Amino acid sequence: MANFSIATVFIASISLLLALTHSFSIENPTDRRILVLVDDLALKSSHSIFFSSLQARGFELDFKLSDDPKIALQRYGQHLYDGLILFSPTTERFGGSLDVAAILDFVDSGKDLIVAADANASDLIRNIAAECGIDFDEDQSAVVIDHGSYAVSETEGDHTLIAADDLIQSDVLLGSTKIEAPVLFKGIGHSLNPANSLVVKVLSASPSAYSANPKSKLSTPPSLSGSSISLVSVVQARNNARVVFSGSLDLFSNKFFKSPVQKAGSSNKHAKSGNEQFVTEISKWVFHERGHLKAVNVRHHRVGETEEPTIYRINDDLEYLVEIYEWSGSSWEPYVANDVQIQFYMMSPYVLKTMSTDKKGQYVVSFKVPDVYGVFQFKVEYQRLGYTSLSLAKQIPVRPFRHNEYERFIPTAFPYYGASFSTMAGFLIFSFVYLYSK
Amino acid sequence: MGKSTATTKDDAQALFRSLHSAYSATPTNLKIIDLYVVFAVFTALIQVGYMAIVGSFPFNSFLSGVLSCVGTAVLAVCLRIQVNKENKEFKDLPPERAFADFVLCNLVLHLVIMNFLG
Repeated sequence: MANFSIATVFIASISLLLALTHSFSIENPTDRRILVLVDDLALKSSHSIFFSSLQARGFELDFKLSDDPKIALQRYGQHLYDGLILFSPTTERFGGSLDVAAILDFVDSGKDLIVAADANASDLIRNIAAECGIDFDEDQSAVVIDHGSYAVSETEGDHTLIAADDLIQSDVLLGSTKIEAPVLFKGIGHSLNPANSLVVKVLSASPSAYSANPKSKLSTPPSLSGSSISLVSVVQARNNARVVFSGSLDLFSNKFFKSPVQKAGSSNKHAKSGNEQFVTEISKWVFHERGHLKAVNVRHHRVGETEEPTIYRINDDLEYLVEIYEWSGSSWEPYVANDVQIQFYMMSPYVLKTMSTDKKGQYVVSFKVPDVYGVFQFKVEYQRLGYTSLSLAKQIPVRPFRHNEYERFIPTAFPYYGASFSTMAGFLIFSFVYLYSK
Repeated sequence: MGKSTATTKDDAQALFRSLHSAYSATPTNLKIIDLYVVFAVFTALIQVGYMAIVGSFPFNSFLSGVLSCVGTAVLAVCLRIQVNKENKEFKDLPPERAFADFVLCNLVLHLVIMNFLG
């Protein structure tokens, strides 16, 4: 019996070890193991294109019903998953140990999250969103209605199926290929909490949209209206955890992926909606297949030398080098940008300079140490929309000239030297004249 | 008008003449000290003028050059006060002692100046 339990522990620890070696790491930042929580396992087939595209990209999906009592995000202090997909908008309570705090803790430890809501979104989902700075319309029966840019269909309908094309202009979030066809959306809208600076609107509603109950008459002005309604938003936390919130679960469905779309008032009929491209690109971003930067090989030295000094002198000319790479999903590619800046910082930046790149990932800058001594820092604070933030700081002291490093016998100062010596000579002559003049 | 300028000129001449005659009565040793003070102040003024032209770059050199002149002038004035026979305040202080103080202070002053000059 004892032998048996030791063997089980051994096998469990080996499998845990294997699982860990196969997961998210600093050197390989793409997520690998993803937990998918669904209301109904039918979602697995109705959203199969999305799931199979993830699996084709090497993700291991673990499907569970949201009320499964065995759900756990971590065991023995180790996270079992790198990402979480919540396709369970109606769930009021998760099974197992999962709750809002556990999900926020998951994000706080740098893991990624996709949350899809729909017209029946529960308070649980709304709470998770609110914690991330996203406020879904408080009216439980409200959905986004747009009489201006709805998707044309055979039946006139109530204009809740929206053809949205107001996408954020960002290659890192949505890929470099432009999404031509409008994105089909049917669900609830949200607004961004103005106090949260980390949340970004990716897909916004058109100016003619509003959020209301389509079945009842609109008696009061809608609380959310126009392009301030966000349909899909992303958050990148300060620890580089990424979160996507969508007000529509159908956005990810096979039906919407394949459906042709024609925006009202436009004669341009697309054979396929932009959903598949949009969802694929945003999922690449959220699972760190794109926009993940690393900075390595930070070096600095005096111009003309190669060795890194432990201290600089004021007015030294120095050179600072850093290599920045972007993770492409399978390898580290050189990151090319012209806006990486360095600060030479002591309580405020004394030097702020843009670094130049050799397009192979290396960034270099040279500058003169200011005429101020103290303990400085080389700081690179690189925060760009969609990219993980880089924050490098390296401390370096700067000393004044040593007493023997000053220039001697400056020609300009010769009159002063002359004056001092002539005063001394004058003093000697005066002493003699004064003493012997009696 | 012409009369009054002539009067002013006469007054000024009379003033200088009386100053000159009064100064002629000054003892020789005090005159030597005065000459030394004039020399030191003149050197200091030349340096200030030079600094105004070339700028204050070796500021420590400028300071030591000017302060050596000003310092030694001040010490010489002190010496003059102490050895002046008409000054009753220092009548108990022998002039030899006053001169020794002057020399010692000058040595200290020039030691400091030499250290600050370079």
